[in-house]
Amino acid sequence: MDAKPLRPLFVTALVLALVIPILVAGGVGVRAYVRSSLHVAEEIRTARATASVLLRYQLDEETGVRGYAVTRERAFLQPYREARELLPREAAELGRALRELGLRDGVAALADASATNALWLRTVAAPIVARPNPRDGNALQRRGKALVDHVRADVARIQTAILTREAVIDGDTERAIDRINLVVLLAVVLVGGIGFFLASQQTRLTRTLAQHQREAAQLLSAYEAEKRVADTLKDAFVQKPLPVLDAVRFSATYTPAAEEAKVGGDWYDVVELDADRVLFVVGDVAGHGIEAAVAMVRARQELVSSAVADPDPASLLVRGNAQLLGQRARMVTAVCGIADARAFRFTYATAGHPPPVLVEPGREPRLLECGGMPLGLLPTVSYVEHTVQSLPGAMLVLYTDGALEHSHDVLAGERILLDAVAGVARSGVADAAGAIRDAIFSERTAGDDVAILTIAFAPAKRGRGVLAAGVARGGDAPGARRNTSR
Amino acid sequence: MSSQSSLDVIRLAGELDIARRDEIRRALQPNDAGGPILVDLSEVTYADSTVIAGLLRLRNDADAAQRRIALLIGDARLTRLLQYAGLAHAFTVFDDRASALTYLAGSPEQ
Repeated sequence: MDAKPLRPLFVTALVLALVIPILVAGGVGVRAYVRSSLHVAEEIRTARATASVLLRYQLDEETGVRGYAVTRERAFLQPYREARELLPREAAELGRALRELGLRDGVAALADASATNALWLRTVAAPIVARPNPRDGNALQRRGKALVDHVRADVARIQTAILTREAVIDGDTERAIDRINLVVLLAVVLVGGIGFFLASQQTRLTRTLAQHQREAAQLLSAYEAEKRVADTLKDAFVQKPLPVLDAVRFSATYTPAAEEAKVGGDWYDVVELDADRVLFVVGDVAGHGIEAAVAMVRARQELVSSAVADPDPASLLVRGNAQLLGQRARMVTAVCGIADARAFRFTYATAGHPPPVLVEPGREPRLLECGGMPLGLLPTVSYVEHTVQSLPGAMLVLYTDGALEHSHDVLAGERILLDAVAGVARSGVADAAGAIRDAIFSERTAGDDVAILTIAFAPAKRGRGVLAAGVARGGDAPGARRNTSR
Repeated sequence: MSSQSSLDVIRLAGELDIARRDEIRRALQPNDAGGPILVDLSEVTYADSTVIAGLLRLRNDADAAQRRIALLIGDARLTRLLQYAGLAHAFTVFDDRASALTYLAGSPEQ
């Protein structure tokens, strides 16, 4: 299975691995903060309350002592005694709360208040309680009021410190709330991101799949269309019946490259020029498929159409080159020539095409000369016309490079071809082209289109002139018999 | 243009067929230096029509630019293929590098 579809899962796991710790840490942080802020709030409440109580006790003490000084009623000393007993406890509690809250100002003020209270007790309360009516009563009263005012101021300082702390707490709370909001927002964004990512992945996968299916369908239909057209073209152009003559025997085969649509750029043509002469062309347009086939049809038309007026092979190639060059067509290789059944002569020219093979009765087959540049590439070309004087029973084998270059070793290909031709010539089978193809490809795979055309002069017959057998008829009805085999 | 112009060496190796079309097309583009061109095919054993067409176009371009061009061939199979294609006459062909370089170093158009 492809690893790609798993990618969204990996990404999701990764993001979750990031999100979960953030959320857990956020939660723990929030919980700790809430606990600590609750604790602080509690301490603040305690501190405020005890600070008030502290002041009240100081005032109770003062009121009690003053009342006693005026009335001499010992009952007035009751609140004084209670407060005097309770005040240190409250002071201790307030000190603990202030230290807990980290209010150094408050602690200092409390120490001052406690010290002042002690001073008041010693220097004001104690003398009055001991001697209710001292001589310096007024002075003591004044001193007492000043000390109590001092304690009042200290308590006010403590309250201020607590208020400041409370304001700080409020600010912290706001910030904490902001932080909580941020964590929640982050989590929402991440989770939303995962959702979006998964959704988009899903969409993309779906879309890619649909596109692949569409493309496959298009390819298939394009291929089918190409194959249909190709089959039609192949039937229409390649399997054109060969002329049937007494003096010249033809055979031909055409096998398109196996892996391509069933048409290539190879072709062969045989055209009767007059009673004794036929024009033959074997050509190869570079490439395969419909475009090559169309170029092939065009090229063979160019070559054959002008042959009636001037069948000279070399000028045929020059004209073909000019036409193909004008059309900016593909590169074309071709061999074309004339087989003269009266003179037993082959005249031909090649354009970038492998050499014809000639096999004569009682002799080994041989490769003829070749050369001449391919068609459709260069504006100035010239072709050499080769003439081979042969004899009755001779066979010329024309082919396209697929028959030679199956192993990409052209020298080995030549040997294999010559062996095949020799064998077929000895056996004398009617379908020489098919037999040659079978001999070459019985143990090999053709990587390219293969076209083979054989042209054989009728063998010499005892007691009868070859010429009499060879000539005589022209305009044999095409289609009467097919020499092609597949 | 003279021997001072740097030599443009185009080198291909192995079996050259349509499967290597893009590589062949790129390789057979001459540089713009204007110097002579050595097409080193000494390690090429096979060339299909893609290469034949490319070589002929290259020769055309070189002719137009009056650049000397030499073909170095090392394998008899390729020699034979180039004979089929008629390139034996279209190119000055060498089977050893030294002679090719000597030819390319000579003054052009003589």
